[in-house]
Amino acid sequence: MSESDAGRNAGRKSARTAVTRRRVITSGVTSAAAVAGTVAALHPLLTAGQPAGPAGAVAVGGPAGSDGSGGDVEVQPALFDEVYRGRRIQGFTDPGEDGVAITVDGEALPVMRRVDGSWISTANHYQPYTTPLATARAAVDVIGRAKLSAAFAQLHHH
Amino acid sequence: MNTRKNQRNLTSTQRTRFVEAVLELKRSGRYEKYVRTHAQYFASDGENGLRVAHMAPTFFPWHRQFVLYFERDLQLIDPSVTVPYWDWTVDDKETSALWSADFMGGNGRDSDGQVMTGPFAYSGGRWPITFGVTDEKYLTRNIGRPDRPIKLPTKAELDGALALGTYDTAPWNSAPDTQGFRNRIEGWTVSETKGGYLHNRVHQWVGGHMIGAASPNDPVFWLHHAFIDLIWVRWQRLHPKSGYLPSEALAGDDPESGRVISADEPMPPWNVKPSEMFDHRPYYQYEE
Ligand SMILES: [Cu+2]
Repeated sequence: MSESDAGRNAGRKSARTAVTRRRVITSGVTSAAAVAGTVAALHPLLTAGQPAGPAGAVAVGGPAGSDGSGGDVEVQPALFDEVYRGRRIQGFTDPGEDGVAITVDGEALPVMRRVDGSWISTANHYQPYTTPLATARAAVDVIGRAKLSAAFAQLHHH
Repeated sequence: MNTRKNQRNLTSTQRTRFVEAVLELKRSGRYEKYVRTHAQYFASDGENGLRVAHMAPTFFPWHRQFVLYFERDLQLIDPSVTVPYWDWTVDDKETSALWSADFMGGNGRDSDGQVMTGPFAYSGGRWPITFGVTDEKYLTRNIGRPDRPIKLPTKAELDGALALGTYDTAPWNSAPDTQGFRNRIEGWTVSETKGGYLHNRVHQWVGGHMIGAASPNDPVFWLHHAFIDLIWVRWQRLHPKSGYLPSEALAGDDPESGRVISADEPMPPWNVKPSEMFDHRPYYQYEE
């Protein structure tokens, strides 16, 4: 038991590290987004059909280095940040080939890009969605209250 | 000779022996490797790198080898067992005997999707999920997706795909303009509301674990893919002059070079060539 728990915790930690390495999510940005309706403000961006890949990423870099917290990371605004059916779903631009990173209650939901620009996630592996937000919501529709497995996310994401 | 039968024609003893072999594979710890392999080799075509299990011409030969290894693992436990197939154009209801308590078990309950009946129900203690998209320990299903109902593919839809005389076409991916039998069967080309086409829609219809990256956690995965395999056999019979494509390695300047496996290139993780899998008859036959 303790062995598997330890393994799971280690997996979760590194999955989180993998997400964090690519961006810093300041609590200020995300809670402000949740409260101030930034989701709605970003909605046109998400539904307008984002350009494929990192070119579509919103280029916000600066502040990370200036607050002395380390210059090797960049601050990215959340694409969306909302509570959907009791789960906090967040999406971020990502320099990787999928162009987006999604979390559910802070756990990484691995996503993959299809050639037509849509996404599939580990929760919906046989059904693509055209926006990151729809991908995240549909994942919650499927997993309900269950917690995403960090060990699985690690294996899945190449 | 190994004969794969329609699951509806299995005797009660055959059903039980299949179930017991699957449960023993689970108990021994050897089942999980199939879940892992399936997740690991599900690459998508909007990314770089090799695609082998899905969104690629090797969808059929890769899954043929995958099911065959599984079947051989079962036969080490019980040599009489083969993987039955589920013809979802016929047994298209939740009331089918496929879902009875002596075989696959029934639907998931409303609250959390947990399968409560049959040998794979968590309460039976013999089917804990140890490697899934979520940390849930129990098998889940959501048959027919009641909140946005979908139906299993019809025979007419399947026949429409079988009529396509070309195995696959460039750029060998999941885009709607990738015409041909393989992409039509795989089923990436239909809208969200319809829930995909043939193969994909069956995953959608079962719901729960079957729609995620850990879909082999539901043992019905094997019955579904045995039928997908039989569909390939039927297509070969209908189009004896049409072969697997691409027949030769793609030119180095082809954008899909290194991303798609031609007939005589090795398929990971087993390094079997698709051409070694074209003819199923050395391995098993189908009773239709
Ligand atoms: Cu499948």
